[in-house]
Amino acid sequence: MRFAFAYPLTAALALTATAALPQDLITRDRVGPADAPNVMTFRLTAFDLYSSDDATREFFEERFLALMAEYPDWRIETQLQTDNIGQEQARMLEQVRAGRGPDCAMIDSSQLGLFKSAGVLSPMNAHFTQDQIDDLFPFVRDGVSDADGNILAWWWFTSLQVLYRDTSLVPDAPATWEDLQAAALTTVEAGREGVLFNGGRWEGTAFDWLPNFWAQGGELVDADGRPVFNEGDNRDKMLAAINFYKDLVDSGAAPSRVTTIINYDEFNAAAAAGTAGLFMGGNWQYGQLRGTLSEEDFANWELSELPGPSADQRATGTGGWTIGAFSDDATAVEICARIAYEIYATEGNAYQGLLPTSASLYDAYDAFDGPEYDAFAEALVNGVARPGVAIYPEISNQLQVLLGDVLSGSATPEDALDAAAAAVDAAFERL
Amino acid sequence: MIRDRRVWLWFAPVMLVLGGVYLVPVADVIRFSFSDATLLRPVTGYGLDGYRAAYNDDSLGVVLRNTGLFTLLSVISLQAMGLAIALLLVRGDRRRLYGMGALRTIVLAAWVIPGIANGLIWQMLFSEAPFGAINSTLRLIGLAPVAWLSDPGNAMISAVIANVWQGSAFSMIVFYAARRAVDPVLYEAASVDGASPVAQFIFITIPQMRGALLVNSILVTIQTLNTFDTILALTGGGPGRATEVLSLNIFNRVFYSYDLGGGSALAVLLLAISMALTVIYLLVLMRKGAR
Repeated sequence: MRFAFAYPLTAALALTATAALPQDLITRDRVGPADAPNVMTFRLTAFDLYSSDDATREFFEERFLALMAEYPDWRIETQLQTDNIGQEQARMLEQVRAGRGPDCAMIDSSQLGLFKSAGVLSPMNAHFTQDQIDDLFPFVRDGVSDADGNILAWWWFTSLQVLYRDTSLVPDAPATWEDLQAAALTTVEAGREGVLFNGGRWEGTAFDWLPNFWAQGGELVDADGRPVFNEGDNRDKMLAAINFYKDLVDSGAAPSRVTTIINYDEFNAAAAAGTAGLFMGGNWQYGQLRGTLSEEDFANWELSELPGPSADQRATGTGGWTIGAFSDDATAVEICARIAYEIYATEGNAYQGLLPTSASLYDAYDAFDGPEYDAFAEALVNGVARPGVAIYPEISNQLQVLLGDVLSGSATPEDALDAAAAAVDAAFERL
Repeated sequence: MIRDRRVWLWFAPVMLVLGGVYLVPVADVIRFSFSDATLLRPVTGYGLDGYRAAYNDDSLGVVLRNTGLFTLLSVISLQAMGLAIALLLVRGDRRRLYGMGALRTIVLAAWVIPGIANGLIWQMLFSEAPFGAINSTLRLIGLAPVAWLSDPGNAMISAVIANVWQGSAFSMIVFYAARRAVDPVLYEAASVDGASPVAQFIFITIPQMRGALLVNSILVTIQTLNTFDTILALTGGGPGRATEVLSLNIFNRVFYSYDLGGGSALAVLLLAISMALTVIYLLVLMRKGAR
């Protein structure tokens, strides 16, 4: 009788021990054996290894364990970042400068320039082949390289802005600003709201509007990072882009409520409610629309490249995240580079449906089959990244104020632009 | 007066804790305000440049005007709403009406909601989309929709409404306690003399509650001056700068411009405004014999 209990108990204990082993190798703040003599720190966001979605978390746990099995003497101490990107990244830079930063970290692509100019990133050249580097989209390659051609970080996924339209009202994709206004007025006549876009006080407003400036060849800052958007030709390009938005609102092609939109979810809600005809949103919203709308309604929605002042002047804003190393230890840098490429940039992106930064990766995974990915890849050719300079957040802040003032009729485009430029210049002096 | 100096030994722990928690951060902000510190690099020098840059900023006038308007409208509304609800509750209690406990709970529920959540709730209610909650209701009863958040003037009113909805509970608690403490004999004597309810309110309730009014005025003014989370979630300070108040401007200055020195200089201004208003309230109301 005693043995009758002893065998199952022993078997259960053995199974528990086996099952517990991987759990012991991954905790809320560690990957790898707790007693490993070498330690590196990795600061990451909470959307993958520590995702609230069980399947996503397990996918990344498996990949991390497989990688770290090749480094049995190493363990990774993980540190989570909060959603407050600006504060988090500023604090991280301060810590790195003081010698208290992580060895490897996720860096928002819009903040990468800050870290590059601070000279705190360790080159990763040795861990990437020339083919892998050449395969990066041009704006990505420029973003992660320094003047000497060193690869200072790996941009593992990107995002871009596109124009969504209800093809039952707007069958052909508007290619120019004029086309867009005409198409939006068509939807208004059909009882819809016209074209929706971010116009409130948040980063999305500046980010979604800037392609109109970039499409004309405008530059926010010069090679030294000094704000120049109100100088020379740039001023005219700024005013043209501002007036494009102003005309949309003044003509009724866009509702005045765009100045209150501070969330991309507003567009999904309007599409679901059947009140939207067109909107400028992010690539990730395509999947959200598929999940929100009925199959029949979703079939009406298509996306295209953002329109420009003319059909051959196009641009789109690109975002996404990079991974960079701050460590002087060669093995830590190697592990960091392998995490970036082998876990995140390739299989991780395919699993999560995030946009790769290399053209060939779209062909390498079935997950990227589909007309939407062809459209994304096509638009990414005209991708422009936000300048990676310390003054960018303030430029964005002032552009948000500018657009709000102009679209609500509180200021003329010229006055609002002068005020924004003066405020940015003053802030630049203090940096 | 206790002359035994050993009493300070008993005070020492609480003074150390309060000093560490409150005074040290304030002192640090004052130190930063005289520095050129940014979030990207440590202090390299001290001077008045931070004050000069912050106070010469062209937008400061608009921001201060917004702050004054937001605070004035909020404080008046918070006092009025708090007092109205408190008097309603006292009257209900006196008449032993059912549901007074539920009413207190409902009002207090708004108070415990975080500012960010409050802003998001009102953003949905004020939404100008065709499916926005309040505008849809207005359409149902045949009224024209209102540009709650896109019109710069209305946006400030909307921000005040959101702030008052959340903050009225605090005023209600203060006034409810004060009203319950008023001697009922005063009202009985006034009734015998034939005083109307309005006369009783003006000549008994208000004078008897002057102390509570003073304390509440100070507290809700300081609380309103520091409010930025609700506005951040509701309008972000827009459209343009229509609802950007000083506390939000400080937040933007530090976390968008990384200007820790300039942001601290404005934080010192906010501290000075709060202290000055407190002194003014004390002088005005205490001089009239507040209880």
